[in-house]
Amino acid sequence: MSEKKKLHPLVEVDEPNFITEAFDYDLPPLIRFDSPVVEYIDGEPVRFDPSGVKTRDIHITDTTFRDGQQARPPYTIDQMVRIYDLMARMSGPNRVIRQTEFFLYTRNDRETLDRCRAMGHSSPECTGWIRAIKGDFRLVKDAQLKETGILTSCSDYHIFSKLKIDRKMAMERYCDVVDAALAAGIRPRCHLEDITRADIDGFVLPFVERLMEMSEQVPDELKVKIRLCDTMGFGISYPGAELPRSIPKLIYKLNVECGVPGDRLEWHGHNDFHKVHTNGGTAWLYGCDAVNTTLFGFGERTGNPPLEAAIFEYIALKGDLCGIDTTAITELADYMRSIGLPIPANYPFVGKHFNTTRAGIHAGGLRQDERIYNIFNTTKLLGRPPRVIITNNSGADGVAIWVNEFFGLTGEDRLNKIKIHRLARWVMDQYEREGRITAIGDEELETKVEELMPEYWEKYKGSRE
Amino acid sequence: MEKSEITERAIKVTCEVLNVTSDMVTPESDFVFDLGAESTQSVQLVAAFDEEFDINMDAEDALEVQTVGDAIEFIEKYVNK
Repeated sequence: MSEKKKLHPLVEVDEPNFITEAFDYDLPPLIRFDSPVVEYIDGEPVRFDPSGVKTRDIHITDTTFRDGQQARPPYTIDQMVRIYDLMARMSGPNRVIRQTEFFLYTRNDRETLDRCRAMGHSSPECTGWIRAIKGDFRLVKDAQLKETGILTSCSDYHIFSKLKIDRKMAMERYCDVVDAALAAGIRPRCHLEDITRADIDGFVLPFVERLMEMSEQVPDELKVKIRLCDTMGFGISYPGAELPRSIPKLIYKLNVECGVPGDRLEWHGHNDFHKVHTNGGTAWLYGCDAVNTTLFGFGERTGNPPLEAAIFEYIALKGDLCGIDTTAITELADYMRSIGLPIPANYPFVGKHFNTTRAGIHAGGLRQDERIYNIFNTTKLLGRPPRVIITNNSGADGVAIWVNEFFGLTGEDRLNKIKIHRLARWVMDQYEREGRITAIGDEELETKVEELMPEYWEKYKGSRE
Repeated sequence: MEKSEITERAIKVTCEVLNVTSDMVTPESDFVFDLGAESTQSVQLVAAFDEEFDINMDAEDALEVQTVGDAIEFIEKYVNK
């Protein structure tokens, strides 16, 4: 047994310590740092200051209409325009959602782009996405875009096995397209596809160095941006992980060794190993200013960093809402459901039951103080009060919460569980006497409220007619 | 109201709600451990006492009461306020 190093006496208090400096109920729980992070790179300790995100211009970019759309049947033009409009509302005056990218290949793609730009929103800025083919540049020029993404795959899996060329030819081909972009006055954003499986020293760094050299010849607004594409979700956030999977080391190498400033670095992840959101946050912390996302994480295969999660991460890191309208997240989810996008019921922030409890003991906690079992003020930030689903585990507490929510009662007006005892009894009998094994739906409960609590029905709902 | 009447009526209500016979109920009887009240029945019991005595007990405090004898004293405070 190890020797005890430090004693920790109980601290009795008169008032509870709810740690409100981190858990301000009207904000997502804040992410606060109390020390630098040290990462060993090429054997040398390198200090990172994660709290720097509070002052850095970190931001979110979006690819709902590009990567997001690769995973589903195409959106209609009207649907994309509506989504873009809501995204702009969410973004707010600080332009937190800085850019969104569009395909440019079809007439519908181009009409969508025109209609979104015609709305005049300051953000997200509309950008394009093309292959590393010179002919595709005509599309960017015709659309009069200031910036476009260019596919510049950088692992040997892509260079040798997919493109069937060698590294030198790949670099020349990519640089030719970048040259063409610069000559046309369009900022290239090089998408380093499959970077977490690439030879970093042998291809990635030489390629990025060359891009930085090319950037020296052009004005600031044209300088090349670098998107780090974790195409297969191999990126690792853990300190000490080795390249090419280490996100801290990748960003350091590009940022410090190749001289790509943070405002020209962007992280694009995939969720194949359930790491997508944390990997995006890690990129922010280690010096990459932009995290590329899709609404509800919908994207190729397992998807991308969810935009709405990045929004809450952003607020949690900044410690402030920063003008973001988080209620637009709920509207976007409702809209996406209405056009057939499936969102699992337990999906964070927007799933039908994301803040719904089934357990009676949790319902009891919710009834006493909703902070006990609600992640933050979901009513204020998402327009979604915490809910209960009535099952055999709900107990009278759960039934009371359901009834109060149904009648819309708050504060002193809320009914205690004694007042709903007949309904609670009926619920328990459903399971104990009737052998029911399914949850009780809202409509069924409404009917029973009218039957078993007629005085309250009359008072709060009036006649059904 | 006399305590004896409160006792008699409280025991009657307890028997009805918990489906037990009066010979099982003494002042020392614990609602949960001796008379088998589960949580919904405890809520029903408080509601039934309210109705029987035409009172409106504090729900949280009432649900803290554990024995029949304590319940009778608790009810008495409301009845003879």
